[in-house]
Amino acid sequence: MLVVDDERSIRLLCRVNLVASGIDVLEASDGREGLELARQERPDLVLLDVMMPELDGWTVARELAADERTRDIPIVFLTARADPADRRLGQQLGGVGYVVKPFDPVTIGDFVEGVLVRIERGERDELKRGISSEPDR
Amino acid sequence: MTTAESSEAADRARRLQRVAELLAEAVTPQEVLDAILTEGVRAAEARAGAIGVLTQDGANVELLAQRGYDASAVTGWSSFPLEAKVPMSDVIRTGEPLFLTSVQERNKRYPMFSDRGQQNHALVVVPLAVEGRVFGAMSLSFDREIEFEPERREMKLTLARQAAQALARSRLYAAEQTLRERMTFLAEASELLASSLDYNHTLKQVAQLSVPGLADWCAIDMVGPNGEIERLGVAHEDPAKVRWAYELQDRYPPDPDAPTGVPQVLRTGKPEFFPELPQELLDEAIGDDEELRRIIDELGLKSTICVPLVARNRTLGALTLIAAETHPPYTEADLALAVELARRAAVAVDNARLYREAERGADAARALAYVADGVALIDTSGSVLHWNPAAASITGVAEEEALGRQVSEVVPAWDALTSHVPLVPPGGDARPVTVPIVLGGRERWVSVSGVDFGDGTVYALQDVTEEHALEKTRSDFVATASHELRTPLAAVYGAVRTLRRDDVELTDADRAQFLEMIESEATRLAKIVDQILLAGQLDADAVEFELVECDLEEVAAGVIDSAALHLPASISLDLSVDGAAPIRCDENKLRQVLVNLVDNAVKYSPEGGRVELRVRSENGSCLIEVADEGLGIPADERERIFEKFYRLDPQQTQGVGGSGLGLYICRELVERMNGRLRVESEPGKGSRFTVELPLRR
Repeated sequence: MLVVDDERSIRLLCRVNLVASGIDVLEASDGREGLELARQERPDLVLLDVMMPELDGWTVARELAADERTRDIPIVFLTARADPADRRLGQQLGGVGYVVKPFDPVTIGDFVEGVLVRIERGERDELKRGISSEPDR
Repeated sequence: MTTAESSEAADRARRLQRVAELLAEAVTPQEVLDAILTEGVRAAEARAGAIGVLTQDGANVELLAQRGYDASAVTGWSSFPLEAKVPMSDVIRTGEPLFLTSVQERNKRYPMFSDRGQQNHALVVVPLAVEGRVFGAMSLSFDREIEFEPERREMKLTLARQAAQALARSRLYAAEQTLRERMTFLAEASELLASSLDYNHTLKQVAQLSVPGLADWCAIDMVGPNGEIERLGVAHEDPAKVRWAYELQDRYPPDPDAPTGVPQVLRTGKPEFFPELPQELLDEAIGDDEELRRIIDELGLKSTICVPLVARNRTLGALTLIAAETHPPYTEADLALAVELARRAAVAVDNARLYREAERGADAARALAYVADGVALIDTSGSVLHWNPAAASITGVAEEEALGRQVSEVVPAWDALTSHVPLVPPGGDARPVTVPIVLGGRERWVSVSGVDFGDGTVYALQDVTEEHALEKTRSDFVATASHELRTPLAAVYGAVRTLRRDDVELTDADRAQFLEMIESEATRLAKIVDQILLAGQLDADAVEFELVECDLEEVAAGVIDSAALHLPASISLDLSVDGAAPIRCDENKLRQVLVNLVDNAVKYSPEGGRVELRVRSENGSCLIEVADEGLGIPADERERIFEKFYRLDPQQTQGVGGSGLGLYICRELVERMNGRLRVESEPGKGSRFTVELPLRR
């Protein structure tokens, strides 16, 4: 699983807690590095921050969707942007989850695993629909 | 002719001469009547005489005066029809004199008089005529039977001719006199009415002018704004009676539905005229109120005229004239005068009101010309009726271009501007709607409200572009500030949650990292909150500056000392002062600026290097430079870094980011101390921020 966030502390939180849930974690500290890692490593899922310098999360999501190698990788947004309009944008960009900061890192492992299980079950569209109204925490 | 006869004839001539002299001296009808009925009757050797004249309409005979008859003989004969079979009517109708020698002859001809007293024997009734027109008759009654031989007849006819001429002349004179008085009265009243626009006052004066010449009582009532009857004035010669009349009015306010009187006249707009006030009418008005009956009896109302004040087909009020204790009952001529007076009064009132309306209109136009809000009056067909200068300025369409034309033609965006505006009736709660619109090529935000007044719509327009931009900035600020707070909050919260996990064994290194994270992110949170607060205060212009003379070298040294405490080893920090001149500034604020600039210089020098603080004077200014050898700032971002929440690539800042407000606050603080903050930079080589403050003169 790939975590893309420019904030070192958020990456650290995600890594420690995801590893505790038995998930292997890759880290990228900006959008460009995130894209490169996603293309090279094809992670099962990307936890993607939105407000990042140069290449923001929205752009990363667009690029991932535009690339054959990465278009199927599920994206969960992990962001400080809580506006409904941002949720809708995340939905349009194909996100399957939308987590608003501050969030509980302890449950993040269960959350992403749940997402992956549901995708496995073919519920990806339901997940997408859900993110515009999903409660934060 | 015998001596006796000739002496008798001379005597008659003398008496006629005497009557003629008296009649020549008599001026008023009353004097003429007196002369005829005293000297004339005596000259004719009659016992009694009476004079009757045709009324104006020619239908009746009115007994003007009599002398010598018993009250019983004339009671009920003050007026009788011309058609009546009575001697006077017959004579006036035929123009032929009537000579009745005896009571027998009278009773034979006029059987209805058979039961009358027998003391009147011979009766003569002669016509009174001028220029061949019979206007009345004179009756002479004698106390004996007389055969009227030609001389005697001629004498009576001569007397009648003299009387007729004198009476006609005096009546003409009286009529002229009355007419003159009326003309004078009307002229005076007109002058009063024209003297002032305060018609309340002038109408009261007109009422005053009407007593006692035209009436014992004169009252003026006006129709109020809501159709109510307002008594404007009551006049009577006696002020005490006027007060009493007002009290009466208070106790017995007019019933607007009353079938007679002022309410009726105001309702119908037609005059009401009672030459003789019918007692039934009074009884009906009084009802069972004994007190009111006493009052009405005391008033002694005889005759009333009530005329409407009508102008341009609207009834504005009513004028009431009352003949009571002194004034004779009203005639048609009085009614005509009252109608004329009311007409003039109404015109005066109407003019005064029109003038006031015009004045108010002029005031309103002035107000509309100067008010900052655009006001547009659009009629039901969409045509522009009014377009004030502010409306012209907001829409970019001049008044002369807009007036009389279709508003959607002159302002193509009009429908977009007004289609969502809820139109309310006059007095309604006109809620403005703010609409973005392109007017004259500029994007504007316009606040529009509309009131539909039936004949059209009045729109109020307000250009709120600036307010809207300000509001947007404010809401953006709040949104961005909350985003800025969420990340450090997430770090603190997440670190605590992770540290408290008991299902996972954290390494000591991780544990230490989380504790450090909590500390630094909490510090960052506090700093962001401080800066948000300060930025908000700067926006609200609520930051106070204490400009005092300060020692720049000391301030700079202090900044260097505190920065040195937590300086990375790779950075060297230097201070150079080249003749610091005294300046006036707020020392704390300047220190805050310099600390921030030095922090930034260190933060953006991840590879280390030299950071220098230089102080020097140049061209009347003091320059404080903070230079580094760090990353530098790309040219296209050099101004944007001073915007709120704009940040250079934070991943290059080694960890904790800022609030995004630091440089914004720095520039605001410097500018409020009358200085400037600018930046020069070359990417990869470093940046130099310069604070320029005016030297103290």
